[in-house]
Amino acid sequence: MNSLMEFKTSVSHREPPRMKNREKTSEASFNREYAKTVGDITSPNPRIECRDVNVYYGDKHAIQDVSLDIGRNEVIALIGPSGCGKSTFIRCLNRMNDTIPACRVTGQIVLDGQDIYDGSLDVVPLRAQVGMVFQKPNPFPKTIFENVAYGPRIHGLASSKAELEEVVETSLRRAGLWDEVKDYMHHPGTSLSGGQQQRLCIARTIAVNPEVILMDEPCSALDPIATAKIEQLIDELRAHYTIAIVTHSMQQAARVSQRTAYFHLGRLIEVGETAQIFTNPRHQLTEDYITGRFG
Amino acid sequence: MNDLSEVSGRSPRRTIDVVRTSLVKRRQAEKRFQLYGLVSIILGLCFLVILFGSIIANGYTAFQQTSIGLDIHFDPELIDPEGRRNQSALMEADYDGLLKNALSSLFPDVKERQAKRALNGLISSGASYSLRDLVLAKPELLGKIERVWVSADDDVDMFVKGQSGRGGAEAERRLKDNQIAWIDKLEAEGHIKKSFNTAFFTSGDSREPESAGIWGAVMGSLFTLLVTLGLSLPIGMAAAVYLEEFASRNRWTDLIEVNINNLAAVPSIVFGLLGLAVFINFFGLPRSSPLVGGLVLSLMTLPVIIIAGRSALKAVPPSVREAALGVGASPMQMVFHHVLPLAVPGMMTGAIIGMARALGESAPLLMIGMVAFIVDIPQSVMEPSTVLPVQIYLWADSPERGFVERTSAAIMVLLVFLIFMNGLAVYLRKRYERRW
Repeated sequence: MNSLMEFKTSVSHREPPRMKNREKTSEASFNREYAKTVGDITSPNPRIECRDVNVYYGDKHAIQDVSLDIGRNEVIALIGPSGCGKSTFIRCLNRMNDTIPACRVTGQIVLDGQDIYDGSLDVVPLRAQVGMVFQKPNPFPKTIFENVAYGPRIHGLASSKAELEEVVETSLRRAGLWDEVKDYMHHPGTSLSGGQQQRLCIARTIAVNPEVILMDEPCSALDPIATAKIEQLIDELRAHYTIAIVTHSMQQAARVSQRTAYFHLGRLIEVGETAQIFTNPRHQLTEDYITGRFG
Repeated sequence: MNDLSEVSGRSPRRTIDVVRTSLVKRRQAEKRFQLYGLVSIILGLCFLVILFGSIIANGYTAFQQTSIGLDIHFDPELIDPEGRRNQSALMEADYDGLLKNALSSLFPDVKERQAKRALNGLISSGASYSLRDLVLAKPELLGKIERVWVSADDDVDMFVKGQSGRGGAEAERRLKDNQIAWIDKLEAEGHIKKSFNTAFFTSGDSREPESAGIWGAVMGSLFTLLVTLGLSLPIGMAAAVYLEEFASRNRWTDLIEVNINNLAAVPSIVFGLLGLAVFINFFGLPRSSPLVGGLVLSLMTLPVIIIAGRSALKAVPPSVREAALGVGASPMQMVFHHVLPLAVPGMMTGAIIGMARALGESAPLLMIGMVAFIVDIPQSVMEPSTVLPVQIYLWADSPERGFVERTSAAIMVLLVFLIFMNGLAVYLRKRYERRW
């Protein structure tokens, strides 16, 4: 919370940016030199290493030459204005972009020493290893129990019914939902409130015991109380999982993450410790975004 | 903006006043539109009432059959003179003779040959067969005298039901004066009764209206529908799933989609020609069998099922698919565990509507030979048979009065089936409608 206080004070005392650099924010003059990533993209003992990732939607070059490490057991926040490619980037990490026919990904994304875009890699266990929580809560139209039990069942993680029930209970406890739903396990998942549904989706994701959890703006459709619960949950999950969270809210990024990466128009502009990004950004574009010059 | 003085040059009018004046016209236009809608609905309902009314008015009498009660002496001397008492003897006996004896005992003064023929003509020609079946079922009847109710001839049936009158010139009537007199006497003595026409539901087609029934056509329809269902449903659903979920989007799949949409609109008789040329001529399948009929009809319903199936699959929101993939389901698991259960109600509705359409089709089946006069009830899909719509068509062609009411009755039976099937589709759709 200290860093947040510093963030607030530094904003009010910041001098207005120089006119010369402001011109350079337009896309036409967005040259390569200016857009080179500032900050340390590497991480000690990384879980996922991305090098020179480019994503094309047809002719549109959505992600340009992004290299980034996702560190082990850390929460990394991806921030940036709308349309800057953060959701596209995070969906590359578990190959969810494969479902979009016009999407093409080049570059290297290495998980456990293997490039996940290698032709011979089976996508199914990858998605069990790298789970995803989506922006709008999307529980299966099945019972709450079935929602959480589906993943372990298809991957064969539980060998008996008792084990399956244990897995379901553990996941729901970890997601902070057990006390609220333990008497309603056979009610449909869609009968829960928005915040509960999102926590159910998180429970479903952790039930398959992934190593990395990707969260694409998980709280954007939720009220502040539910958001607070999920942010607390992210903090607790950090002990077991690596989490990458895309967020529109800079305050949320400041609250939950240890590292932050700032994206702008498909490029990774700056990456570094969260406290440093929000109090002392090194790139002009990062500073402009954080101080609210554009949104 | 609420001051229009510059625009009109008159004293300033508020916008709200302009709106109020135009409101009258708008309300009138809306009322007119509602009136048009109401009138068209009423017109539609009127036509429906006229249609159903005329069919029911023509056909309800077919559910009754006039029978004549005769005291028949099951004389063993006549039935089994050699005393064999076995199945073949009972089969070969002259039951017509028994009926003639019973009739002449009721009207002993009818001696002349023409008159005798007229008297025997009061009974249906199929009555001797029903008598035979009775004796075969109960051989202990031999030697007894029993009152047996046999079907009356269709002319008598029509007369008793009041469909044909007793006035007019004798030469222009079906029943002669003496026959009418005999019928009056039989009625007075209680030998005539009208009972529920079970023969209509249990027997096959016949040249005589009183013996004609729809059971052969119903069995033929059932077998045909079974073959159609068994072929078109699995193939259609699998094709819809493959085309929607697994096939890549390229020129070939676009071509296939255009062709399937076109096939759904092809006139059904073209499929009949195809069935005749390919299934009967080339493959040599039995003509007029439910197998060939089912093949032709499944070709016809396949496009409908595929199109309905694809729409149902398209309607499943992508969030469900992404959620399933995100948990690590393979594409097959995603489709079969998550997408298909949500799409099945729509697919079922499309399938049932396709089946209802197939049930009512006659043009393609005419081409493959189901228009023949088939008396025996089909026992399997390979035997020649006919279907209910074709049966209706055949009976509509026949001149006898009895067939007029039977045609309408058969139409009523077909309509009941169709209404039931469509009702089932509506019920299933309502019951399994999912909210996600």
